Amino acid sequence: MASVIGAAARSTRPRISALHGLVAGAALLLALWPLVFGNKFLLALATLVALYAIGAASLHLIIRTGHVSFAHAGFMGVAGYVAVLSQMRLGLPFAAALPLGCLAAATVALAIGPLILRVTGKYFVLVTFLFGEILRLVFTEWTAVTGGSNGIFDVPPPAPVFATPLGFYYLALGAAVLCVGIVARILGSEIGRTIDALREAERLAECSGVPVIRWKVAVFVVACALAGVQGVLQAHYLRLIDPTTFSIVESLNLVVMNVIGGMQRLAGALIGALFLTALPELLRGYVEMQRVFFGIILIIVMAALPGGIIEIGARLRALGKAR
Amino acid sequence: MFTPTLLAQVVVNGLSLGAIYVLVALGFTLLFGIMRVVNFAHGAFAVLGGYALYYLYGQYRLPYILAVPLSALLVAVISLLLERCVFRWFYQKMFQSMIGLLGLNMALVFGSVIIWDTYERAIPPAFNGMLQLGGVILPLDRLMVVAIAAAILALFWLFMSRSRWGLAMRAAAQDVEIAEAQGIDTLSTYRLAFFIAIFMTALAGGLYAQIYALSPFMGDRPLVVAFIAVILGGMGSIPGAALGGLILGFTESFLSTFYGATLSAFVSFGVVILLLIFRPWGLLGTPE
Repeated sequence: MASVIGAAARSTRPRISALHGLVAGAALLLALWPLVFGNKFLLALATLVALYAIGAASLHLIIRTGHVSFAHAGFMGVAGYVAVLSQMRLGLPFAAALPLGCLAAATVALAIGPLILRVTGKYFVLVTFLFGEILRLVFTEWTAVTGGSNGIFDVPPPAPVFATPLGFYYLALGAAVLCVGIVARILGSEIGRTIDALREAERLAECSGVPVIRWKVAVFVVACALAGVQGVLQAHYLRLIDPTTFSIVESLNLVVMNVIGGMQRLAGALIGALFLTALPELLRGYVEMQRVFFGIILIIVMAALPGGIIEIGARLRALGKAR
Repeated sequence: MFTPTLLAQVVVNGLSLGAIYVLVALGFTLLFGIMRVVNFAHGAFAVLGGYALYYLYGQYRLPYILAVPLSALLVAVISLLLERCVFRWFYQKMFQSMIGLLGLNMALVFGSVIIWDTYERAIPPAFNGMLQLGGVILPLDRLMVVAIAAAILALFWLFMSRSRWGLAMRAAAQDVEIAEAQGIDTLSTYRLAFFIAIFMTALAGGLYAQIYALSPFMGDRPLVVAFIAVILGGMGSIPGAALGGLILGFTESFLSTFYGATLSAFVSFGVVILLLIFRPWGLLGTPE
């Protein structure tokens, strides 16, 4: 594993300008296409993909430290509820409510992180699984504040400009580019190497003077705050906030995005977000059949590509070399 | 509040619920302990077991004592096909198995929706009578559940501890490579473990569906419970899963009778989280 990472690190140097060009081109394409095609369905789909890209990328940050969190949607919910409530009950503007929501998610992460990040591997999966359930129970049972299972209706649009589908798409796209950019910047920096060291050899990193728990908590807090961005925006997009959008199913969905795209690379998380958001919508028509197909596709992808969809690239390259 | 009648009722309920949880959790821990597969489709097999019992006992009126094991056997035999097509790809791959089997769960649950629709069905109770013991009234059907589960668990324990196959399974769980080097056919050992795990889960699903109600979405609760029971006892530990299932059944029965279901959920999740932080290998597991 270590040698693979080493090879990847060596090979990024000459490719970096090409990568930048690719990213810039993709961003331009994402910004311009709705002006050319006025398809409402595709626009709604693209907005959802942009929102899920935030959640999947922020979860990727945690996964890179070697911890797979199953409570990610719960943190999203904390941010969503705090932002919506502060806007609707306290009358704060959206620009203040969004950071406040993210701060709330970060605070919860900071409180719970030092405790739960001590357990690793499958145990971390289980702890966060249960913690996510507890958060959902709080959302559901604290009826006086959260509106219980009915949730809170008529969440106002962030601003009049973003009330139209096109306006909101640009807001979501902007937020996604910003959040994914932050994650990419963190992973590409010195901190990114620390994160990789934590995952590959925790003891060794500790012996080299890396304060392991402190870094893990820091990464966890940042990732949960970023996930909060999706939670807040999603509530405004759906004009509704309720516990089902932050249940264990949603957390699992984010994990599936990462695993099916490829857990080792940020691009994997983005591919997963696209695949998992777009595919069910495109299979629409007959709802039950769609879920069955979707399940079968998950099985086939995981059986054929244990490293995720991103593995296709490596497979093709290997095939090219063999010829 | 704590009258003897009520208390006896709570104990019997806890015992029958616990017995069902133990069966589900044992199947789960068997798959994890031996093949390192996290079976997110576990609830779906419980649902299939429920429908099998619904047809064999509710529709075709087979004698109860025959219908229960036969329906579980039916599901387990059909599931061997899934072992060949799906599970075999995911042995010894924890994360991939999680996602792939989540997909299988989706396919099975929504496949059931297509075949049987979403409305809830009832499986007729085996007995309507009550057993009266010195002023304490016990429902017979709950006692029957306890008896069936106890019989299956005893058989399972005998099989695992006394038979050569059970020994092979425990060896494969400890170290696959060394087990293979000693001449154990791991592939057929896996198949057997899979068969037993699904048999127990389907059986538990039938009993669960009879106590509550049968629908394609019935499996979610047994899955979560199996998860928690297995964590509580220790991942991969067979006595641990049994202990975890019993504790969970009793806690649920006791707390939800006296203090409501919400508090019961909060308490059990909170306790398990604390346990995981301070003793992640569970009550009876072994630290790595």
